[in-house]
Amino acid sequence: MTTAVSAGRPSAVTARDLARATATSQRRGARFKLWAGAVCTALVVLPVALAGVLPLPGANAQDLSRRRLPPLSEGHLFGTDQLGRDLLSRVLHGGQVSLAVGVLAVLVSGLIGIAAGSAAGFFGGWVDAVVSRFLEAQLALPLLMMLLLVVALFGPSVTVITCVIAIAQWPEVARLTRSLVLVEREKPYVAAARVLGLRSWSVLARHVIPNVVRPASLVVLLLLAQAVLLESALSYLGAGPQRPFATWGRIISDGQDYITTSWWLVTLPGLVIAVLVVGVNLLGDGLRDRTRPRSRKGA
Amino acid sequence: MTRTPHLVPPPRPPSRRTLLRWGAFGGAGVALGPLSACAGPTGAPGPGTLTLGLNRSLVSLDNKLNQFEAAVTVQRAVRQALTRIGPGLRPQLVLADRFEMTEPTTWTVRLREGVCYSDGSPVTVDDVATALRMYGKVPGSFLLGLFPELPAVEATGERTFFLRTRRPVPGLDRLMSNIHITPAKANRPEELRSGLGSGPYRVVRANSGAGEYTLARNTRYWGGRPSVDTVRVRFVPEESSRVVALRSGELDVVDTLTPDSAEQLTGLPGVTVQEISGARMCQLFYNFRKPEGHPLADARVRQALTYAIDGTALVRDVLTGTAEEARGVVPLALQGAVPTGTYAFDPGRARRLLRSLGAEDLRIKVIWESGEFAGDTSVMEAVLDMLQDVGVRASLQQFEPGGDILKWRQGRGGDWDVIGNGYSSPTGQALTMLQGMYGGTAEKDRTGDAFMGYVIPRIERRLSAAATEVDDSERERRLAAVQHAVWDTWPSLWAFAPKTLLARRDRVRGLALQPINSYDLTAVRLEG
Repeated sequence: MTTAVSAGRPSAVTARDLARATATSQRRGARFKLWAGAVCTALVVLPVALAGVLPLPGANAQDLSRRRLPPLSEGHLFGTDQLGRDLLSRVLHGGQVSLAVGVLAVLVSGLIGIAAGSAAGFFGGWVDAVVSRFLEAQLALPLLMMLLLVVALFGPSVTVITCVIAIAQWPEVARLTRSLVLVEREKPYVAAARVLGLRSWSVLARHVIPNVVRPASLVVLLLLAQAVLLESALSYLGAGPQRPFATWGRIISDGQDYITTSWWLVTLPGLVIAVLVVGVNLLGDGLRDRTRPRSRKGA
Repeated sequence: MTRTPHLVPPPRPPSRRTLLRWGAFGGAGVALGPLSACAGPTGAPGPGTLTLGLNRSLVSLDNKLNQFEAAVTVQRAVRQALTRIGPGLRPQLVLADRFEMTEPTTWTVRLREGVCYSDGSPVTVDDVATALRMYGKVPGSFLLGLFPELPAVEATGERTFFLRTRRPVPGLDRLMSNIHITPAKANRPEELRSGLGSGPYRVVRANSGAGEYTLARNTRYWGGRPSVDTVRVRFVPEESSRVVALRSGELDVVDTLTPDSAEQLTGLPGVTVQEISGARMCQLFYNFRKPEGHPLADARVRQALTYAIDGTALVRDVLTGTAEEARGVVPLALQGAVPTGTYAFDPGRARRLLRSLGAEDLRIKVIWESGEFAGDTSVMEAVLDMLQDVGVRASLQQFEPGGDILKWRQGRGGDWDVIGNGYSSPTGQALTMLQGMYGGTAEKDRTGDAFMGYVIPRIERRLSAAATEVDDSERERRLAAVQHAVWDTWPSLWAFAPKTLLARRDRVRGLALQPINSYDLTAVRLEG
């Protein structure tokens, strides 16, 4: 952006106008989103990752004589649950399960989505038709019902839940990748690569995919929040890993019976999920805004 | 040097964006305003309407396949039996005004004069005979397992008949409280969808899929007039939702409360919590289908494991005092139950015994269905921790309602070691429960019908002998002896008899909760 009020050139655009300009607020917003997202995400992810080395009681260590102690009780920052287990420890260890499922699921769904979407966009024809119809069919199915059905059929293990969420999320990545590849394949460098005699698969893998992987990976990051929420929803509905594995959904599900007397059993794990999801979404939004091509008059 | 002229921008009218923003705020306010009404209680029952919140779905008002305790209250308000289990767990006459054992294998019954259905048609002997036939034809019926044999009806008059059995069935008057009488023409060997019965209420609206029913007073009821005009039955599976709905006045009665919900509701203005010693036994029952040589096939290993369980802490802290640790193989509230022993907590002894029996590397898989008993998941997780404390590698597998735990119970689903299970005696007799749980035979086990594979012929023989004994004192003596014999086989890792808990709004009066977790709806009245 050029300086609006330059010396010697009269202008009606004041510094205040500039500060209120859409482009400025967008840039400021992107920076805020990036920082706020990073802080929120780190606030949850770091303690979860370090749960094993933090001086906390075991996630499943019970003390029936110290049930439902409120937050900030002696030795229990988040209080204790209905079996006298340290709630903070359960939330952090539960987060390891939820985050591991989420990260693995988005990695798998990202790989499937990028592979299928780029093939559909680049080759077109019957490949495009098959992939497109398949993802449309899957998008038409009610997601949670489908997940519950698959978990009921194959049993609620971490592997099954990861695969189920991964398979549930690939259409979004595939759709975006397909549209990005449709744009890329018309660019001159693709034609040049063909003229040089590269095979289609080589052009796609070596030249096109590297150019679309960045925006596609941002969508994958946004899907992480959705994957964590899905895992929590499944656990909440009783389709999570078997007890005594702590997962966020199960901690909330177990705690809701005590909502009127022990608010922290539901509120604190819920808050942790909310902070993570908001953080990841802000981070993804901020990154997207930063990588978005500058506007025409930018420069 | 020329100064840059400072141009003062003219005042601007509100931009289009600003107008749109104001419009959006205004629109949102108009749209969201009515939603504020959602903050208050909704759907509160009317002055003459009693609303019950059940925690399990009442899929039918017929009890052939579906008789969980709280449902009995509603089912018996529409359909009645010849007898019922009344206060003190004693049998009371309902449709019959005479029900006597006149010979060891013959009971003489007379229908009450003037008993009729809600459509005005009379209750007949043929209806009783058909009902017994239909119950007998239903496969997989829980009720059928309670009967040593179904009696045959032999009509002797318009209202009188004999109930004959091949062998003596001393508790037949109690057992017949589970056979609901329906017009013969409408009866089928399945759960009936129609709501025609002789009870004080008739069905005016039913949604069996959602488990919701509306009952209205039966104006042709042969007995006393019930004081509540309309009864609404709702299925509210979430315990927390039931608690909130009761607090807000949306529900009048919630039954089968968990100890923690009872704790939340106790002392609240406008709400009363009732409790009574129950006729239900909740057990962590061993799998008796283990092959010879498996550690759990050895009663000494089963006994050693019981020392790992701190029953006092479970009752005090997890069940918050709303249960009694078992001191027998059936709840002591039942007629004929005797104390046989107690569970002791001694983890050191458990470790030593397991080591001496060569079972120190024992792996235990505990299974149960959610909601099998109040506080089930907390009990199971606490037990898991206690087993791990004595070196047993324990794991849990929880089944959701509607899952295939039945297959597992019958030994057709997968291998397990301990099952969390609740068992009731709908007759109020210890004998019924003992026969159901410990009267298994090899023949029954072939179809998976022996309770958790418990087939011990000497126990079964002694139970059969007690069950057919017509002399009351001799039967009691034999029953007491067989209960001791069962205890010595250590069938359960731990067991407790939960108290029956119910919460009601204070406007509901006259609700006399029975140990079998039901009550007579005709006695209930609404005030205010």
